[in-house]
Formats: sequence, structure tokens, C-alpha cells
Amino acid sequence: MIRRLVSICAALGLLAAVPAHAALRVLATTSDWGALATELGGDKVNVYTATSALQDVHQVDAKPSLVARARTADLVVANGAELEIGWLPVLLRESGNAKVQPGAPGYFEATSAVRLIDVPSSVDRSMGDIHPLGNPHIQLDPRNVAAVAKALTARLAAIDAGNAAYYETRGVDFQARWQQAMARWDTQAAPLKGAPVVVIHRDQAYLARWLQLDQVAAIEPKPGVPPSAGYLASLVTRLGADKPRMILRNTYNDPKAADWLSQKIGVPVVTLPFSVGGTPEAKDLFGLFDDTLRRLLAAGR
Amino acid sequence: MSDLLTYLGILWPALLAGALVSLSHVPLGQQVLRRGIVFIDLAIAQVAALGVILGQAAGLELQGWMTQVAAVVAALLGALLLTWTERKRPEVQEALIGVLFVLASTAQILLLANDPHGGEELRDLLAGQILWVSGEQLVRAAVLTAVFLAVWFRWRTRFGHAGFYVLFALMVTMSVQLVGVYLVFTTLIVPAVATYRHAASRQLLLGYGVAIVSYLVGLGASVVTDLPSSAVIVWAMAVIAVLVHLTARGRAPVDLERH
Repeated sequence: MIRRLVSICAALGLLAAVPAHAALRVLATTSDWGALATELGGDKVNVYTATSALQDVHQVDAKPSLVARARTADLVVANGAELEIGWLPVLLRESGNAKVQPGAPGYFEATSAVRLIDVPSSVDRSMGDIHPLGNPHIQLDPRNVAAVAKALTARLAAIDAGNAAYYETRGVDFQARWQQAMARWDTQAAPLKGAPVVVIHRDQAYLARWLQLDQVAAIEPKPGVPPSAGYLASLVTRLGADKPRMILRNTYNDPKAADWLSQKIGVPVVTLPFSVGGTPEAKDLFGLFDDTLRRLLAAGR
Repeated sequence: MSDLLTYLGILWPALLAGALVSLSHVPLGQQVLRRGIVFIDLAIAQVAALGVILGQAAGLELQGWMTQVAAVVAALLGALLLTWTERKRPEVQEALIGVLFVLASTAQILLLANDPHGGEELRDLLAGQILWVSGEQLVRAAVLTAVFLAVWFRWRTRFGHAGFYVLFALMVTMSVQLVGVYLVFTTLIVPAVATYRHAASRQLLLGYGVAIVSYLVGLGASVVTDLPSSAVIVWAMAVIAVLVHLTARGRAPVDLERH
């Protein structure tokens, strides 16, 4: 009885999950790198994304399909810089899949392709829940996406040599379309240059660097630690006298802090997608930046 | 075929973890319900987490087994505190357990406000996920459960309040890391509620049945629906418990003797 139940369950699970066999099995930790793997791999890859854009990527609910994909993956596309430190090392260790262990060709970290900012010169524990390797939220600078795409194309070609030419072609095509889009975004974003903004914490650091936004304050000065009453009071006094243009938050952030400050100082909150899928418009990587800019420009007017 | 084997490979460690947790938590839960202290596991889990964070704040390099030591020591101290309060203020024991829960939780916030590096990870250290159980964890849990069962069924009538709280703290610190706090609470309380109106002689076996069948059904349903396993098991156990509870209808209600 028990054995039959288990095999029925397993058979149903088989129907529900991962049908394609010839394709390279990719496990992406975030929707952004899942979208990039799909862009670059086309129909030669079967991409499974572990987290949705509306979810905190630090924590993940263990679904059977996630564990199954970790066991059978040919390539893991992680963000890196300790973003997934809470779950990915355990998942990979328990998967018993030698192909995708850190250091193996089947393990790719997006952050290895770019230079991180906010790297602390020393790990000072008073600074908040910071990442000692630097700020891991690299996807909001399109130049980073281009660099990661280049590295990922090379990795796909290396581990699936039979289809290397296919990946090279798609890679070249993606880079051309991306460069074009970046030129468009740079033109569109001109009015945002130097705009004073308030951020929740360091999630938007790469976006701010790319668009040359002036981050005048952070609602959470120490990432992961709720601000104190005294700090919030000083923020209201300072920003009420010298108003920023907008308060930025991501769809996955709790809206309460940003809304509270917005009411106190009369400055609009702009909700940004942050990741592919974060808003209905941010369907892919192009949509992510189109929608981010549209929202910033609408509020900055 | 390889997919089927993959899923079986995923399910059996989780099922084994569920069965091990059930073996100790069903009898503990019936005791907890009788004493009217149902939130004690949440309080103990928070105290254990506080122990880890305190250890870190004190400058200990908390890796591997040192983390376990810090968690277990804190949980045992919490257990002794609760033994003492039950002796001194038995009439408000459940309220004091609730207070211990919020104090332990907020103490972590206060400690991490000044020393927050890696706070997220520290807080998650003691939170398990049933699908990510490792072989090493299963062996540890099996040994601890065997010791628990021997002690429980041989000396249960003799070890009194302190013995109960100490055993409870040890088992919960282990099980929370194995299957997470939702499943610990559910495995503790739901089979006990499902069976308390059944004949006393059948309660234990019936409780084991409710718990273990629920893990099996819940894991199966979680594969079919591809929903997070812990949450599906919790709901499976609740539904099965209602059915089992209803089969006892018509019997005279058994008084829960509160201490």
C-alpha cells in the first residue's frame, strides 16, 4: 500500500516535471539569470528558476522540483557573492551532483564576471548585514548584464561543446540587441542624472551608479536592521527641509517604511521591479530596464 | 525512469526525518496538551536561536558542532527556567511560556541591532527544511530518538517536571533543525488533538499513525502539486486529524487534567 502510494506520487511527479531530455538542464537561482540563460541558450536549454522576483532570494521554500533539478542539473547559474548562502550550498551538497559543485564547470556565478561595489575594506560587524564580498545585487546595471552574458555564453559553449556554435551566434545577437537598447536607455535616462533619491538600503546601488542618481539617504542605514526612532526623526527633519525627488523601493520590499516617509515629507514613492517578473511589464531583461526607466521618469517629472 | 528514481531519492530522507520526529513528538505532544502548554516548542526554539546569537556576540566562532552546543545549552537553560516557573507559578505557566517566546525573539533583535553581521544566516541556522535533510543529520536524529524512546518509555513516570522539560528541549532543538518550526509544532500538537477523545490505550498508536501517514500523504501531494513540502504536510496532517478526531464521536469527552 505504502509502496504503491509512493510510486503513484512519483509517477505523477514525473508527468509534472522536466519533460525535455536533449536540452541542457539549467538551474538558475534568480529570475534575472534564468531569463539570461533562456536568452542565450534558446531551445538548447531547459531553464528552471528557483525563486520568483517577488520573493526574498536569501530564503527559499524547498519544493520537490527544486531538489530534483539540483540532482539532475547540467549547469547551475547562481548570482554569487553570498546572495544564496542561506540555501544553495546545502542544496548542492545534498544533491550529490558532482557536475554542479562550486569549482566545477557546471557551476557559474554571475558576480564572477563583474566588479562588485561596496566591498568593505574590513568586515566591521557594526555596519549591518552587509555582504563581505561586496554588494551582490548586480543585475540593475545593464553593463553588468552584458558582462555576465559574455561569460555565460562562453560557459554554455564549454559545457555543451556540440552546440558551441549555436551559443556563440545567439550570444553575438544578444549583445548587439543589448548594446542598442543600452544606447536607448542612456538617452531616456538623461533627465534623471544627479536626481536626489532616498533608497531603502543598498539594493539599488548599481542602478544608482549607472544612472548617476544621488543617493541622499537610506531608510535602513544598516541593511537588515530596522532603523531606530532617532534616526527616522533626523531623516524627516533633514529631508523635509531639502526634499529629494523620489523614494525608491523594490516590489519585494515591505511598502510600510517607504510609504511612511513619503507621507511625512510629501515625496512620491517609486516602486521598481528590481528583477525580471517584479512587475507585469518586466517580462524579460529588456522589459526590466524599460519598465524601471518608465517608472523613474514618470515620477521624476 | 531516472526522474522517478530522482523523486524517490528525494522523498525517502524526508519521510525518514518525518517518522523520526513523529516518534518523539507524538508522545511529547500528548503530554504537552495535557499540561496545557502548547506553545512551549516555539519558545524553546527561540531560546535556542538566542543561544546561538549570544554565543556569536560573545565572540565565539560558531561553526558546526559549536553552534549545536550553544543552541542546546540555551535550550536546556530555558527548560530549567520553565521547570522553576512551573513550580513557583503553575497557574500562569502557559502565559509565562508566551512571555518567554517574545522575550527570546526580541532579545535577538536587540542583540543583532548592534551586531547584525550575518544576522539573517544566524537566525536561519536553526531553521530546517524537510527536503534538505542530510544523511549525517538523520543518523544524529536516529541516535537521539532511540535514546529518547528508551528513557521515555522506561522512566517516564519517574522523571518529573525537570526531566520532561530537559528531554523536551533536547528533542525540539534537534527537530527544528531537521524539519522546521511549523512541522515541529504540527507534529507535536495535531496528533494529540486528533486522539485525545479516543480510548487512552489507543491514543499513542493512533497518534503515530496520524503523524506518519500525514508525512507520507503530504510529501506525495507536494510532489504532485510541486508546492513547498512543509506547508503541504501541515495541511495534510490537519485534514487527517479532523477525520481521526471524528471517529471518536459519541464517546464521553476525556477531561484534560491540567497541572
